[in-house]
Amino acid sequence: MNNQRMQTFNRVVFAAAAGIVLVVLSPSPANAQEAANRTAQSATATAGERAGQGDYLRGLKAWEQNCARCHNARDPKEYSDALWKPVITHMRIRAGLTGQEARDILKFIQESN
Amino acid sequence: MIQRYVRQTGTLGAAALGATLALGAPPADAASLQDDVNRLKRDVASLKDTAKAPDSVVHLAGYGSAGFSSRKSDSTFQVFSFSPIFHYQYKDLMLMQAEIEMGYNDDGSTEAVLEYASLNLIMNDHAVLVAGQFLSPIGQFRQNLHPAWINKLPSKPLGFADGGAAPLTETGVEVRGGFTPGGKGLNYAVYIGNGPKLVENAGELEVETEGNSSDANKNKTVGGRVGYLPLHNLEIGVSAAAGKANLPGEDNRNYRVYDVDFAYQPAVIELRGEYVQTKVDSLAGSAIPDEHTWKAWYVQASHKFTPSHWEAVLRYGKFTPPEKSQELKQWAAGINYLFANNVIGKLSYEKNDAPTGTVGDENRFVAQLAYGF
Repeated sequence: MNNQRMQTFNRVVFAAAAGIVLVVLSPSPANAQEAANRTAQSATATAGERAGQGDYLRGLKAWEQNCARCHNARDPKEYSDALWKPVITHMRIRAGLTGQEARDILKFIQESN
Repeated sequence: MIQRYVRQTGTLGAAALGATLALGAPPADAASLQDDVNRLKRDVASLKDTAKAPDSVVHLAGYGSAGFSSRKSDSTFQVFSFSPIFHYQYKDLMLMQAEIEMGYNDDGSTEAVLEYASLNLIMNDHAVLVAGQFLSPIGQFRQNLHPAWINKLPSKPLGFADGGAAPLTETGVEVRGGFTPGGKGLNYAVYIGNGPKLVENAGELEVETEGNSSDANKNKTVGGRVGYLPLHNLEIGVSAAAGKANLPGEDNRNYRVYDVDFAYQPAVIELRGEYVQTKVDSLAGSAIPDEHTWKAWYVQASHKFTPSHWEAVLRYGKFTPPEKSQELKQWAAGINYLFANNVIGKLSYEKNDAPTGTVGDENRFVAQLAYGF
């Protein structure tokens, strides 16, 4: 019985692993969008309005909704703009944020300190 | 900050220009002053770009805490625990991070433990490859809540520290990330690693899950966690891990971990909880042949009395080791004062229920000052 459960578990893990490989190997939306932005050169859209770039308002919302899930919100003035980058990357990994959410939060924090 | 400086510089420049003109300075001087202001603005803007996004950034974060505990049989100041976290980021490609937990042993010698150290390769918006030693992604307390400035009580929940039911760290490879399907939050972590080691301690079987730099057998442990947020302030997580483990010189036996966790933050109230179970199968002919199961769970409620800096916390936890007679239960009530969001003073009272006559059965007061930096 135990071995049967282990086999089932292993099949689930294998399927999950296959899905993860697909996710890992998929092209970065940020890079794809960045390339598209370079060619499009939209005259009207702001950087924040283009997907792939950090956006202040989206960042404010993501900051409010994600950071407090685990800890008290930190003051944007604690670090300089540059030092916030590894902090947000660390939190992206720890909290399972998307790259877009991380860029939005970084934008919000850098504009707020 | 720099943008504000740029704005202020522009304002000052304009004011100086206006004052100069008002005082009747020659137009040539005014033009020169304007040139200087424009050059200064360009320099500051350039500095802003450099400061915002250099290719490599080194950063030191971490946390520390000092405390005092008092119970019937003793009272003692607790050693200062210092846990620096080193971050080294290269562009949006890689983050190297390591946490070292430093403190004192009972004999006064210094102890430094590598809590985790990993390379984190950012693959795309939804996946980060983590290689090295990392915090176990099983559950939520261990990977997200254990730092002293985040944990709302001075002590960890029963069974979620060393020697408990929850795995601590893993050495291997992990992929983790998140999605926002339909505007909801979905995060995941899957890993394959060396897995735990089994050891015998005074005739009891123990599972070592921390700092296993080598595999005790050829079988790797696989596991992971999926967290879903149906609401932005509600997260539900499910975790599992499976592999093989063995006592030195013995055959392998199955090793499994299951965990469920939740966190809910309606306004100033926070509710959270977690259940974890670790199981090692029986093995005929082993020095310790029986099946072993460790279970632990806790629920915690906290309330911030905004706009004051006070916060109240209540937690109940239970740890059931394989030997049921050694079961531990605990009520913990605490009051916190937030000097800042990352500087917290805690005072708690723990009502403990453990085998009669053991130190763990004594109730105690605990005070702690914690700082996250």
